[in-house]
Amino acid sequence: MIDLRSLVGDEWAEWYVLTPAQRLEESSKLWQTYLELGGSLDPEPDPQSPFYDPAEWRAVAADGRPSVHLVRRGGV
Amino acid sequence: MGGQACILYGGAEFSRDTDILVVADASNLARLQAAVDDLQARVIAVPPFEGRFLQAGHAVHFRCQIPDAVGIRLDVMAKLRGLPDFETLWNRRTTLETPTETIDVLSLPDLVTAKKTQRDKDWPMIARLVEAHYARHEQAADDTARDFWLRELRSPTILIEVARSAPRVCERLRTERPLLEHAATGSKSRLVAALRAEEEVERDADRRYWAPLKRELEQLRRDR
Repeated sequence: MIDLRSLVGDEWAEWYVLTPAQRLEESSKLWQTYLELGGSLDPEPDPQSPFYDPAEWRAVAADGRPSVHLVRRGGV
Repeated sequence: MGGQACILYGGAEFSRDTDILVVADASNLARLQAAVDDLQARVIAVPPFEGRFLQAGHAVHFRCQIPDAVGIRLDVMAKLRGLPDFETLWNRRTTLETPTETIDVLSLPDLVTAKKTQRDKDWPMIARLVEAHYARHEQAADDTARDFWLRELRSPTILIEVARSAPRVCERLRTERPLLEHAATGSKSRLVAALRAEEEVERDADRRYWAPLKRELEQLRRDR
């Protein structure tokens, strides 16, 4: 028998054993935090998607999220 | 059918849109039009909202403007590569009850098939989805579950374990998934290489499937 914790780590093992309803609840909490922090509802640019239109992404901020702005860059 | 379904099944995608599969006939599209009108949703990219584009395999992208859902993206499709028609998928769907609503999503095997795309991000998700199913059902597994794992697992260690514990199912599936030979013999390095090759075949098939549709999308963008 496989010890899933050692294979995928504690966080994933705990997520896996949740019920779908519990996962939905946890995901909703994450959404609430994300939106409170000003997260965008736009999907991240995905150049590998067949639907990706480069022109669509030139119109938004360099990080792809109009509500989050780079104020300091460290290192690279 | 997309990221939200992955969350319910045990993947952990932070999906910002909602993917919906529909029947693209005239009467259903009229109902869909009424629904998007209720959401004050507008088409935000090509193609336009027309049945012929959905029937050809395109997605139509909407953004909701209704105050309760302002900014939410809806992606609507009627056809998925490698999967049967809507009626068959609907008959195989999973229905989940939450305290506040009932949610219909693609069955897990169908969702896994839908995720076999050219995109890097979909492949770790497939691995997570099948691992999550294994984690929840391993203790009371039947041959249906073992069949699913042996067809779809992408985690070499677990695949070898399932092949060892279900040799008859593994033997039956070896012609359909030749890499099970390496799982059965416990040859992890060969299995890893074969899983990579299997993934590449699917990615190529997805690129070929989308090539004419992408050309059509580019033409529609030029014509806008």
